[in-house]
Amino acid sequence: MSMVIEIENLTRKYGKGIGEVVAINEISLNIEYGEFTAIIGPSGSGKSTLLNLIGGLDKSDSGSVLLAGRDIAKMSGSQMSDFRRDRIGFIFQAYNLIPVLSAEENIEYIMLLQGIPSVKRKERVQEMLFLVGLEGLGHRRPSELSGGQQQRVAVARAMASKPEIILADEPTANLDSKTGMALLDMMRQLNEDQGVTFVFSTHDEMIMKRARRLIHLRDGLVALDERNSNATP
Amino acid sequence: MLLLRMAFRNLFRQYRRTILTALSIGGGYIVFVLSVSLVEGSYGNVIDIFTKDSVGHIQIHRKSYREKPKTYLTIDNRKELEELFHKESKIISFAPRVLSMALAYGKEKSTPVKVLGIDPNLESGVTRIKEKIFSGDYFDSIPNADGYYKAMIGSSIAKSLKINIGDELILIGQGAEGSIANDIFIVSSIVGNEDSFDRMTVYLPLIASQSFLSLSDEVHQYALLVNTPKRNVEIADELQETLSNLEVAPWQRIETTFYQTMQADKKGNNYTLVLIVFLVFVGVLNTILMSVLERTKEFGVIRAIGCRPSKLILLINLETMFLTFLSISLSLVIVIPMIYWFANTGFLLSEPIDMGGVMFQHMRGEFSLYVFLKPMIIIFITSMLVSLPPGFRAARMTPKNAMDIN
Repeated sequence: MSMVIEIENLTRKYGKGIGEVVAINEISLNIEYGEFTAIIGPSGSGKSTLLNLIGGLDKSDSGSVLLAGRDIAKMSGSQMSDFRRDRIGFIFQAYNLIPVLSAEENIEYIMLLQGIPSVKRKERVQEMLFLVGLEGLGHRRPSELSGGQQQRVAVARAMASKPEIILADEPTANLDSKTGMALLDMMRQLNEDQGVTFVFSTHDEMIMKRARRLIHLRDGLVALDERNSNATP
Repeated sequence: MLLLRMAFRNLFRQYRRTILTALSIGGGYIVFVLSVSLVEGSYGNVIDIFTKDSVGHIQIHRKSYREKPKTYLTIDNRKELEELFHKESKIISFAPRVLSMALAYGKEKSTPVKVLGIDPNLESGVTRIKEKIFSGDYFDSIPNADGYYKAMIGSSIAKSLKINIGDELILIGQGAEGSIANDIFIVSSIVGNEDSFDRMTVYLPLIASQSFLSLSDEVHQYALLVNTPKRNVEIADELQETLSNLEVAPWQRIETTFYQTMQADKKGNNYTLVLIVFLVFVGVLNTILMSVLERTKEFGVIRAIGCRPSKLILLINLETMFLTFLSISLSLVIVIPMIYWFANTGFLLSEPIDMGGVMFQHMRGEFSLYVFLKPMIIIFITSMLVSLPPGFRAARMTPKNAMDIN
């Protein structure tokens, strides 16, 4: 199986001198296409930093990240934007929907950036809303949706561009357990049906139970990288 | 379309601030339009007074006459020329003139004067000569029973020579062939006042001036009025191509000093307008910067999901342009009737203003597309420029840093 994410000696430090913090310390790991992986660890272990570096949202101090074989450090700002737009989907803890756009428009926006024609965009928006179980709520603005519904829109937005990888940073942290579970089931379904690679950063037990691979981070280092043979189907 | 909707909706997220900024842009636009209307209207007025006082919109002379105004340097082919003027639809009226200097004698004294031979009928179609008669009657080209032609004199001549209407005026000058020119004329009217440019001018009927200077049917000058005064330079150039043996000059070239003074004054007004725009847009820049700062996290998300930096700049730019469009649209509702009134009714000044030697007392604006369009274009361009620094600021941040800001 080929690798979708290849990380080598990745380091990220914050601050300088006496206040320097090594958030990621020479991490090397690979993730294959279609994996359902959770990066876990206590707060401050570097989970979100690692996810940000994988997604090109932040810049590393040293080391490399290859996504689908391409070194993201060698991409220009616009190339990185295009790469994220076409090949990576993001799901954030705080949903991060655009407040002035309706649920439909939030999903549509990324396809607009991709240059997909309007008719196709509209069709796909409806597909996505159906997929995440929000049919009939597309016209609502984020402020008119519950947290769970907003996160579903965020998932739909992340899926709309047909990415190869979805990076989800604590996606269930702000949701109650029932909603979180439902959302997780949905993402697992998408992973199985569409082969999308999911990488979570989390300390949510539910995700840990469902992930097929668990990467334990501690103090910016990979403490343990294990296959979860007991993953809940 | 989605991008436009997004930009439009973003405007109303902080609607109080949007309204205040819109008022600032709108107010700036109204002041700008009023200033342009006033400047254009005033200068339009001044130019109208100035050109219809004597110069006309275009003048034609024999080549080299203006450098060395010799009596014999005349325009000879009058018939052909006047046929051309009649045919040319852009020319609405023309007046032939004979020019000379002479010594004028009154009862006891003498004074140097400028002699201006005019066709009484044609001249009144080009200048306001009839309206400038201070006392007496506008003359004609018919001599009296004793064979004397009438003359109209400037008020300073009347005062200096102590002559009045009905008195004799003796002129002595030099004829076209170098002979001595002298004749007696009867004063029919006094023209203007002591501030008028023609206070030392003697107006003679064209035929009388030609006879006085021993000219046949020749003249020294044609003054023309055209149907589009603002295009007089262009029309003069077109005429010059046809009349290659003559010099065709717009009034701007005839009265260079006046024109340059006016242009300098206009430049001064432009600096004031630049200051207005600057003050308005410092406020607008502040608003956009605030709006960008408040939405830094959102911009981070937009960048994270794959929006190129250039598109983010475009989004911020679109928001500013929308705001400007909204402000200007609303301002137009107020400013159009305002300028319409200003251009048609205007107001009377308590004291007349002297602009380049021309006095005017009635202040009127100009109502034209230019008056509305010039400020509009400048404000739109400034809006666009002002939105760039905040746009670049938003686009330069890494998505992670932007999203970390709350």
